[in-house]
Amino acid sequence: MGSSRLLIATDAGAPGDGVATAAAVAVALAARETTDGAGVLFVEAGARARRRPTLLSSTSARALEGLVAAGDPPAAAAARGRICWADLELEDGWTERLAGMAALTRASVVAHLPPAAWREALDDPELAVAGVVVRADPREHRHLLALLAAELRDDGIPLRVATRPLGLVGARRALAGLDPGGPAAGRARRIAGRLAPARGQALPLVAGLCFVTLLVATALAALGGAVAATSRDQRAADLSALSAARSMRDDLPRLTAPALLPGGSHNPAHLERGEYLARARDAAVEAARRNGAGAIDVGFPDAADAVPVRARVKLGADPNRWAVAQASPPQAPAVESATGDYSGPLATRQGKPMRPDVAAAFDRMAAAARRAGVSLLISSAYRSDAEQARLFAANPDPRWVARPGTSLHRCGTELDLGPATAYGWLAANATRFGFVKRYAWEDWHFGFDRAPVPCSAASNAPDEADGAAPRSMPEFVPAAYRPAIAGAAARWDVSSNLLAAQLHAESGFDPRAVSPAGARGIAQFMPGTAASYGLRDPFDPDSAIDAQAHLMSDLLEQFGDVSLALAAYNAGPAPVEACGCVPAYPETQAYVARILALMGGAGEWVAPLEVRLVA
Amino acid sequence: MGDVRSAAGQASVEVLAGIPALLLAGLIALQLLAVGYAAALADGAVEAGALAAAAGKPASAAVQAALPGWAAERVDTRVDGGEVEVRLRPPALIAPLAGALEVEDSAWVRPAS
Repeated sequence: MGSSRLLIATDAGAPGDGVATAAAVAVALAARETTDGAGVLFVEAGARARRRPTLLSSTSARALEGLVAAGDPPAAAAARGRICWADLELEDGWTERLAGMAALTRASVVAHLPPAAWREALDDPELAVAGVVVRADPREHRHLLALLAAELRDDGIPLRVATRPLGLVGARRALAGLDPGGPAAGRARRIAGRLAPARGQALPLVAGLCFVTLLVATALAALGGAVAATSRDQRAADLSALSAARSMRDDLPRLTAPALLPGGSHNPAHLERGEYLARARDAAVEAARRNGAGAIDVGFPDAADAVPVRARVKLGADPNRWAVAQASPPQAPAVESATGDYSGPLATRQGKPMRPDVAAAFDRMAAAARRAGVSLLISSAYRSDAEQARLFAANPDPRWVARPGTSLHRCGTELDLGPATAYGWLAANATRFGFVKRYAWEDWHFGFDRAPVPCSAASNAPDEADGAAPRSMPEFVPAAYRPAIAGAAARWDVSSNLLAAQLHAESGFDPRAVSPAGARGIAQFMPGTAASYGLRDPFDPDSAIDAQAHLMSDLLEQFGDVSLALAAYNAGPAPVEACGCVPAYPETQAYVARILALMGGAGEWVAPLEVRLVA
Repeated sequence: MGDVRSAAGQASVEVLAGIPALLLAGLIALQLLAVGYAAALADGAVEAGALAAAAGKPASAAVQAALPGWAAERVDTRVDGGEVEVRLRPPALIAPLAGALEVEDSAWVRPAS
């Protein structure tokens, strides 16, 4: 304890025994306060005999002995066992001398006073009495005790009464500064504890619990902070990549705009590829800086493509923090959102019904398989819910037959293919044609994975053209030309999206268009090319579109690549053949980029692109 | 045995006295956790807002959607171009403290032009 504590001890009756009791209490206090190191000073007023130091005494008692002996005025002191004994003559000013002794040390002070001196000690504010111990027989001295108790209660000073003597041995031990032993020791300890409720064993426990509670909270906070820092880094990478993709999305129309205006002058709206990528890079760097990330590494995974739309950002500080974002057409809803049975038109292959675009894709796949020496057989395709119910009834095990209403076969997009010898070829090649193996454990089951989503509302929309027409024709295609485009696409096995984008780029669907170079009609045929494709009237949209599809089919076969075929369509096959690339004519490069962008849904003409994270 | 009983009595008195301190420590810990939780929520909300801004959608709505119901009235969202800033006042045991404990997070993404 920081300040000394003064306990007044006295005896109401039998003189002598009271000193021993007071000494026992002092010993108990000293035993409790050994950790503190200050010890206990026992002051005896009017001692009959001078107490001598004992052979054995504690360090703190000896230290106190030195302090008191060297005090002002010095007093007789003796280190006895755990406590230090000091004499006090009850002459004038004894309370000041007692206060002076108490002030010498941080130790607790137990003063044994005769009853006549109580009042004076209690009234002296300097002494600040913390408690009173009385050795008395409650029956014999009950009036005295009642009076004392009442007075002390008014002063707010606790009183403890020692009702039993220590016994001969206990008293001698206590007077020697030792624990009296036995029940007497327990009583002394209780009195000491109640009069001086200092730190107990529970206090460190409570403090420890408080500390542990706060420590756990701090540890959780630190852990949360570490997780937050990681997620912040990832966020910076994500937002950087998104910013780059956003920049690409916004600049895409300028990239795909022709570099030269029809008059031959530079098109101010056109953006060079290098500048397009640099702007995306700048957007990523700015996002990284403003989101608290340091140096970043920006890459464009599809930089080799005609129209790059992907950006990859790596944080310089942490190679594990990276993100890829791209500008892409709005995501089709997932298969799980499929509702209801397929209700659109059905095409038939090998006697099995399926969605027309699935049939067209199957035709391409079957042709490729034939070239590889594999004949594909369809064992099952579209199954209505009613058929599925019959199948399930025959084999009611959901592991092998899906419950009615849950099988994707009802969407017209699923094919069960054979024979078993074709599984290997299918596994390796089906994805090229848009088919995916739906379930790892069904080698024969392939689903068509290109838009529209199986059983979605879009897949059910009736198409103007019957047969194998992909139904996802861009919105910019005028309704009047949709059947012609779908028909030509089916006839020449060319993507209707490709044809539509070309027509948009060539003439803007104007069947009467004539270019300064002499190209004519909706598909902008030069007279020589028109003649070689048997096109008599290039201004007739239906036959022009058919010839365009025929030409594109030939070019695709010749070059095996959409970009090269488009370049050949625009600049003629010779320069493409010469370099095996898109020739370095600004007009041709812009033409290819623009059509690829249109096919990907880019530009403002089609549904706006979304910017999203892809990795 | 008197000795042990005495010590036990003393300890229980001190435990009683220590309960307020322990409660206080617990409440401080809870308050710290509430602040941390609010910071984590603000972190997620601001990211949702920035992602929405990148996609050309309203960021404030995305921030609100990313927060649990109780936080809806305790959040201030500021969207300035591509800058999304979220201020979230965590639940506080002492109401006036909520303002002082407010957590703030912001993110930037190239906005839709």
